[in-house]
Amino acid sequence: MKISLNWLKELVDFNLTTKELAEKLSLVSIGIKQQTLDFLELDLTYNRGDLLSLQGVAREVSAITGSKLLFSPPDEKDYPWTGKDLPETPVRVEEQNLCPVYCIATIENLKVEQSPESWVKRLSDCGMRTVNNIADVTNLIMLQYGQPMHAFDAAKVAKQTLIVRCAQKGEKLITLDGKRRDLNQSDLLIADPKNSLGLAGVMGGKDSEVSNSSTKVLLEAAIFDPVVIRKTSKRHGLNSEASKRFQHGLTKANLLQALSLAIKMYEGLGGKLTAISLVGNLKDEPKIITLTQEKINSLMGVNIPANQVELSLQSLGFSLASQGEAWEATVPYFRQDLNIEEDLIEEVARMYGYENIEGEKLIAEKIPDLDQSLPQFIYDLKVKLKGVGLTEVQTYSFYSTAVLEALEFTKEAKLSAVKIANPISSETEYLRMDLWPNLLEVVGKNLRKGFKDIAIFEIGKVYKQENGQPKETDRLSIALMNDSDNPLEELYQLAQSLSLHLKGVNLNPDSFHPKRKTNGMAEVHLRLLNKLGIEKRVAVMEFLL
Amino acid sequence: MLKLALMDVKIRKINQDYQGQISQATALKELDKIFLELFGKSGLVDQLSKQFKTLPKDQLKTVGPLFNQVKMKLEEAIRVKREGVRENIYKSLENEKFTLQPSRLTHKREGHLHLATKFKQEIIDLFAKLGFEQFDAPHIEWDKYNFEYLNIPKDHPSKDMWDTLYIDTANLKVDPGQLLLRTHTSNFWPRLMEKGKTPIRAMSFDRCFRYEAVDARHSHTFNQFEIAVVGKDITMANLRFLSDYLLQGILGKEAKSRFRPKYYPFVEPGVGIDCLCVFCHGTGCKICSGTGWFEIAGAGMIHPNVFKATGLDPKIYTGLAWGFGPDRMLMLKHNIEDIRYFLEGDLKFLEKY
Repeated sequence: MKISLNWLKELVDFNLTTKELAEKLSLVSIGIKQQTLDFLELDLTYNRGDLLSLQGVAREVSAITGSKLLFSPPDEKDYPWTGKDLPETPVRVEEQNLCPVYCIATIENLKVEQSPESWVKRLSDCGMRTVNNIADVTNLIMLQYGQPMHAFDAAKVAKQTLIVRCAQKGEKLITLDGKRRDLNQSDLLIADPKNSLGLAGVMGGKDSEVSNSSTKVLLEAAIFDPVVIRKTSKRHGLNSEASKRFQHGLTKANLLQALSLAIKMYEGLGGKLTAISLVGNLKDEPKIITLTQEKINSLMGVNIPANQVELSLQSLGFSLASQGEAWEATVPYFRQDLNIEEDLIEEVARMYGYENIEGEKLIAEKIPDLDQSLPQFIYDLKVKLKGVGLTEVQTYSFYSTAVLEALEFTKEAKLSAVKIANPISSETEYLRMDLWPNLLEVVGKNLRKGFKDIAIFEIGKVYKQENGQPKETDRLSIALMNDSDNPLEELYQLAQSLSLHLKGVNLNPDSFHPKRKTNGMAEVHLRLLNKLGIEKRVAVMEFLL
Repeated sequence: MLKLALMDVKIRKINQDYQGQISQATALKELDKIFLELFGKSGLVDQLSKQFKTLPKDQLKTVGPLFNQVKMKLEEAIRVKREGVRENIYKSLENEKFTLQPSRLTHKREGHLHLATKFKQEIIDLFAKLGFEQFDAPHIEWDKYNFEYLNIPKDHPSKDMWDTLYIDTANLKVDPGQLLLRTHTSNFWPRLMEKGKTPIRAMSFDRCFRYEAVDARHSHTFNQFEIAVVGKDITMANLRFLSDYLLQGILGKEAKSRFRPKYYPFVEPGVGIDCLCVFCHGTGCKICSGTGWFEIAGAGMIHPNVFKATGLDPKIYTGLAWGFGPDRMLMLKHNIEDIRYFLEGDLKFLEKY
């Protein structure tokens, strides 16, 4: 996420240069992708959903720099709907599990105009474009609070009634980007009694978009199930700013604050709140985690004084009840990523500074032995092969299309090969079943580069299906092209001199010289070599390890 | 008109002559020669087409198609003949003998180990001194060892951190999506932990896979090196020691690294390890995007959920893990500009090391 620096300064009074701030954040909080005069781009991770908002970043900056926050959460009695006897906006949530909170505010008397310069600048510093004043409010609120919002044009919503439901079979929707989407029954939708209006939490529909003539909007602030949002956004290839935030999970306290400010911003534009529905349980469950001094010290390997632990956690927004050598820590509502004691220890550790943790040797202790014979054997074998003049190559674990073609990879072979369900291209569709075909490809490449003598080996895994299960085995393969018309002679002697005592694999007769073959080694059939663009004779061997 | 007639005759003659030569050829070399005479640089075809420039447009309309037709016919004739000659050669293989003459001496050559093998051994030896032993896990892996046991549940957004190649299970007795090409060597620790033989001090240097298009800096197939330690009092301070031990062991005593928080689902606390840029020594350059540091490794204290999933009690045990990409490190060390060199078998490259 891009964080507008000017906006951030309005939220927290930090006294650092941008460079210093970027350095501090990357050492204590989160990586920085990019810094410019106007913004810092955070390298967001899947835990810190709170940092998908300006306020969240401001809180973090305040905690790690000891600077003052310039905003505080509004009092509930200042919410625009508190104490007013407003009618309800008609809403029906059919999928309460997938939509635990659904709030809709009806706002009238609006006029669509361009946004003021200051809004446009905020948006552009955060990497978003201005649309119009009505839509911009929803985006500004999302950036500030991390709570996505959506404004429906009330005139285009049948009976001005919103329904949260799953899509029906065969249902279609044109999304804001103009694309016609075939919906799946597990897509969560916002609909009116007649039509679907948008993919919940992912993207609104074209038909209910705010237009220049809109004067009345239905403003939505909701919490949707992260997994449903993730599936829908993946299925439709729509990774929107909103869907990202729904996937991280949202909090109710934050939602109400965001909704309150959004309504106030609309009121500032001359709008009037005329109805509202707040559906669902609006209270966050507080999380209390027990943290012990002993666990902190034993996981970090550092003795941190109790008061330092307390200061660190308090500055991050925890409230603590001390109980001897332990604390009952109440997690601030905006930190959904903290669930276990170790999570809190990370908080303590980063406030202490990872950099300040001194290295300490492992204690000597008796470790149960692991069998080292195979890796040792493989390394010794490699050294031995090098010793007789072979060069080690390592090739991809796949068969390239050139190899597949040369092998005339039959239907039968395909059935016993291990196949990739989602190959990147046809070059990664089948895992190799032998090593030697890949070595031939290497021989061909180097012949074309002018090599006149090629003696190479690979030790690696091959893969195939066996009894309905995939199986991988270690192999050794050698390929020799010595510019003679009978390279098997030399390969055979080479193998003899190594006294390998390994079992040769079965070589498919179709791929090899009709006469020149012996246990696990053979001259490759010229037809196959020719197909790979090789005009020279090549002998290969392949052994099981 | 005369010019046109001449050209026409010329083309027909070339066709006749060479079709004859092609049909009589018995060896690939002869065909190669014919091909060169016709289609080589300043071969007959090339010469003829140059003469076309002097022809008026309407004449070109007549002679052009004839020329193209002859050209195609000759090419086809050479191709067919070549196949015929090859088939004869293939047949004659039956008459070749299987001989293994012990008198012939083998060539003297200088052998080479792959640079990744040498680097692997260097690191393995370094950690063997601290009592670490190798433990390799399969390349084709179950989702549970690659993800689920590592605290990456199904449908969790963190799964997007790994673009995964899945195994087609159509012919296997396995549910779709259950088997994949492991995306990291980290699958070795749940496999080892579930054996329950503690303490653990293990390492693996092995191949991993990602759904990633290949270019100079990315590959779908790459190496990782990873260590895992499990015991009763394993700490972040131990992690710091091991991290410095490795980086100084391979980059030299002056190598400087730093720890910072980093999220990986399978560790808590999670650590990102930056190395002082070896090119600019921290002043900031293109290679480190001006920061003076580049990210080199990921690490952390093994997450309690990994212990629980593998049947170990996180109240009794703690553990650490540290991993990095040796290919990237080798590229930095030896100034190798293209990751494809590692697996594409260019002998000129491999013989340098």
